[in-house]
Amino acid sequence: MSAFVSRKVSDQTADRSIRLWLGNGALVVSILYVLLFAFYAAAQGDVFGLQPMNDLANDTLPLALAAAGGTVVMLTGGFDLSVAGVISLVNVCIATQIGDGPLNALWGLLLAILIGLAVGMVNGALVAFGKLQSIASTLATMIVCSGLAIVVLDAPGGNVSDFIADNATDPILGVFPAAGAIALVIVLLWLVVRSTAFGVAIYAVGADETAASLAGVPVLRTKFLAYSLGGICYGLAGFMLSAVTATGSPSAGTPFLLLMFAAIAIGGTSFAGGYGGPIGSMVGAALLVLLQKALFSAGVSSFYTVIFQGAIMILAVLVGGISASIAAGRSR
Amino acid sequence: MTKTSPSEHATAAPVPEASAKATAARSGFRIGPEGWTTLALFGLTVFMILASRLISSGFGSWQQAQAILLLSSFTIVLGFGQGLVILIGGLDLSVGVVMTLGGILAYRWIGTSLVALFWAIPCILLVTGCVGAINGLGATLLRLPPFIMTLATSLIIYGVFLGFTGGQPRGVASPALTSAYTSTFAGLPVILWLLLIFIILATLVQSHSSFGRRLYAVGTSPMAAYIAGLPVRLLIVAAYAISGATSGLAGILLVGYATGATLTMGQSYLLPSVAAVVVGGASILGGRGTYLATVGGALLLTTLSTIIEALGLAEGWRTVIYGLVIMLALLALRENMGIGWALTPKFRNTASRSRPGGAGHKPNKTGGNG
Repeated sequence: MSAFVSRKVSDQTADRSIRLWLGNGALVVSILYVLLFAFYAAAQGDVFGLQPMNDLANDTLPLALAAAGGTVVMLTGGFDLSVAGVISLVNVCIATQIGDGPLNALWGLLLAILIGLAVGMVNGALVAFGKLQSIASTLATMIVCSGLAIVVLDAPGGNVSDFIADNATDPILGVFPAAGAIALVIVLLWLVVRSTAFGVAIYAVGADETAASLAGVPVLRTKFLAYSLGGICYGLAGFMLSAVTATGSPSAGTPFLLLMFAAIAIGGTSFAGGYGGPIGSMVGAALLVLLQKALFSAGVSSFYTVIFQGAIMILAVLVGGISASIAAGRSR
Repeated sequence: MTKTSPSEHATAAPVPEASAKATAARSGFRIGPEGWTTLALFGLTVFMILASRLISSGFGSWQQAQAILLLSSFTIVLGFGQGLVILIGGLDLSVGVVMTLGGILAYRWIGTSLVALFWAIPCILLVTGCVGAINGLGATLLRLPPFIMTLATSLIIYGVFLGFTGGQPRGVASPALTSAYTSTFAGLPVILWLLLIFIILATLVQSHSSFGRRLYAVGTSPMAAYIAGLPVRLLIVAAYAISGATSGLAGILLVGYATGATLTMGQSYLLPSVAAVVVGGASILGGRGTYLATVGGALLLTTLSTIIEALGLAEGWRTVIYGLVIMLALLALRENMGIGWALTPKFRNTASRSRPGGAGHKPNKTGGNG
């Protein structure tokens, strides 16, 4: 599928393809997802209708979009903390500045993308051309964005227009969840991007910056574009979050910070860069969201829920790591 | 492998080859770029405190400087453990929750008793140190990304004490701990003397002990350190254990300062602990950074937020200015820090860290950049 495009495959054995499938982070975490979904279905009962599926897709999409963006940056070997600030800023802007109606909704979507792009470009400029550490510069932009979010709206409130709240979250033509369609579009877009020179460059820069540079890959430009692309994804995540919650909060993005990195790790992307992909991260995000819902519907009390979340996180990453080493054809 | 044992850490044993290389590289840093970074951080802090007179007449005084020192004591203590973990190439996201754990235990165990102080503090440091060691074992034996391991541990621990306390920690803030912040000795609050001792001891451990040198070696190139015979896993676990213990200590101190404990008391100190280390010029990839620079980073960040607090602006704009000043400070200090690894490959590639012999490149790296 997608995640192992940059993977060096040296073994010539017949079971190579099996190993590759096993090593695909997206596949392993998808299997875990199906298992957890079976548990959720048993605990919840009514999960297969259009409405429950639609709700699940809506709850999943904001984190999945954020994780996809964070993965692009992570693939180049960087950490992007600005996600929390961008989502908060977009959320309060949508909740306070955007009126009702299709044209306003379009303007809101454009605004979300522009905010994300602007922050992403600042991050990219600081990291690629300013030569700062990614974690330090994105921490600073995150703080600036959180501050701006408080300037726009200093307490939870505001109101997302009905047009956005309804159309972005209801099933399209009453048959397919809009959130699911958006996720599919993002996956397809990534498959296109990945096959471009830029897509290959992202993996090359993350795997070995020197080698990439010597091979003629424009390292700085690739990093700059990766942060910009990540920012756009956070902007979209903020837009979808606003549509789902239909309200604004200056701290709306805060929970996304750690959850996004957890989703990326579960999805099998290497924190050192160069290996993995957004699709795995999106499934990882879906797994985290489903876990919360499943534990809630099973009636587990809140302090056990956090314990379970921690345990599942370790388990998912362990399973992913083991299958990746099997795929690499060596023992751990 | 057999010539190094845990007991050797404390003694000044013959330094293995890779460690010697790292030492040579490190002393180069200390006189060079990293020393300047530290000086620049302290200078900037003093300048900002003096310049704050312009904002308010009550500012720029010795009292204000003392208040800033008291406020930054938590980040300074946390920064040591976080700095060691970052030094070996990891990241500890559990410091906030472990700090809360230390606070809750101190609240519960010490109480008004003075005797309890002497058994409870070592016990708390042991418990929180064990939590840190678990992080280290997960990162080494299970090979989990430190990010995930420490995040998962903090979730689990948070769940455990949420269950145990029922959301409301019970106990009494120790008067002895509180008096460390309120009473003075030789003109300074007692806590500042204790903090000074802590900083001296921590600097000795990180920069002037064989244990510290080995951590630099592990952070520079785990593979080279392993080939040189260092107990790499043990050293990594030790760094995480120290981070757990310092988080617990910071929690104990916070109970004395805030005279109370809540379930979220440590959370707001997680990002500052990372920021202080990174502003201090340490590489997030490991192998570089000094504790004194971290102390400078913690002081700078606390001074910054205290002064911005006094500007009389709305919370949003204060936060914006805080972020912008951090950004500017990072850019301004950049030349001195010599972050070769983040630059174009003409300086050095980061990937060399993972290969044997990567350590050998290190001295050149800063040499060409200072």
